[in-house]
Amino acid sequence: MPALTTSTRTLARTWTAHQLPAARAACSALQTRSLSEASASSSFDSPFKASSSERTTKIPSFAKYRNNASGESGPKVFQYFMVGTMGALSALGAKATVNDFLVNMSASADVLAQAKVEIDLAAIPEGKNVIIKWRGKPVFIRHRTEAEIKEAEDTKWESLRDPQPDSDRVKRPDWLIMLGVCTHLGCVPIGEAGDYGGWFCPCHGSHYDISGRIRKGPAPLNLEVPVYDFPEEGKVVIG
Amino acid sequence: MAGISSSIYNLLFRKNTVMLGTVFAAAFAVEMAWDTASASIWDNINKGRQWKDIKQKYLEAAEE
Repeated sequence: MPALTTSTRTLARTWTAHQLPAARAACSALQTRSLSEASASSSFDSPFKASSSERTTKIPSFAKYRNNASGESGPKVFQYFMVGTMGALSALGAKATVNDFLVNMSASADVLAQAKVEIDLAAIPEGKNVIIKWRGKPVFIRHRTEAEIKEAEDTKWESLRDPQPDSDRVKRPDWLIMLGVCTHLGCVPIGEAGDYGGWFCPCHGSHYDISGRIRKGPAPLNLEVPVYDFPEEGKVVIG
Repeated sequence: MAGISSSIYNLLFRKNTVMLGTVFAAAFAVEMAWDTASASIWDNINKGRQWKDIKQKYLEAAEE
């Protein structure tokens, strides 16, 4: 660029002598001149340059995609519908995933089948004990006689170690159902034994009365009562 | 047409909470419809081969 170098040199030479407006005028003169010179006398022609008559920029028509309806509610409803469908499908997937995990963690059918035990009470005569196995533990079922019911109800339960009235421990007074696990260290007490006519644990000498309450010995609590129900007459379901 | 779509928009999509409720309700309905349809297709394909189809026979036999 010979024009640029000469004019720069001229500018530098005259810089100290001129005032600032003069320098600015010279600078703008230099710019216009050098630009016009570059376009006129350039020896380089770009191969990508089209001839000046032809328009290179072609803007495609978007008329096909334009909303021709009067309002904007149609496209809006469509867009929100698509968004909502996506959300609904995601919610379905999330629900199915969570559901699978929960089903996987819940008890299987064979475990559920073992969790309940149904007993025919008609086979148990009055004044007899029956021991059945429920969830790996013995369960005592006693068909109590009238005298035993009266004895269990008349006991002064307020002063016992684990105070509990007999009505809290039985659903029907003639059927006493409780877990046969001593609350001391987990032995199985012996029925119709002990000082109180109930159960006696041979391991450390705990005496339970006819309602299964601890009366004497090291055990801290009464014999546990499981969840049970009488669905019909003569049947009990434990669990 | 514009009236229907704008009323749909105003009814379901204008408020975010309503739209969320719509989406969940739609998911619930779609799940029920999907489950029912797939179960009925399955039962139709396996007609006469499932326990609920042949149970009657064996229960009658056990009673006799």
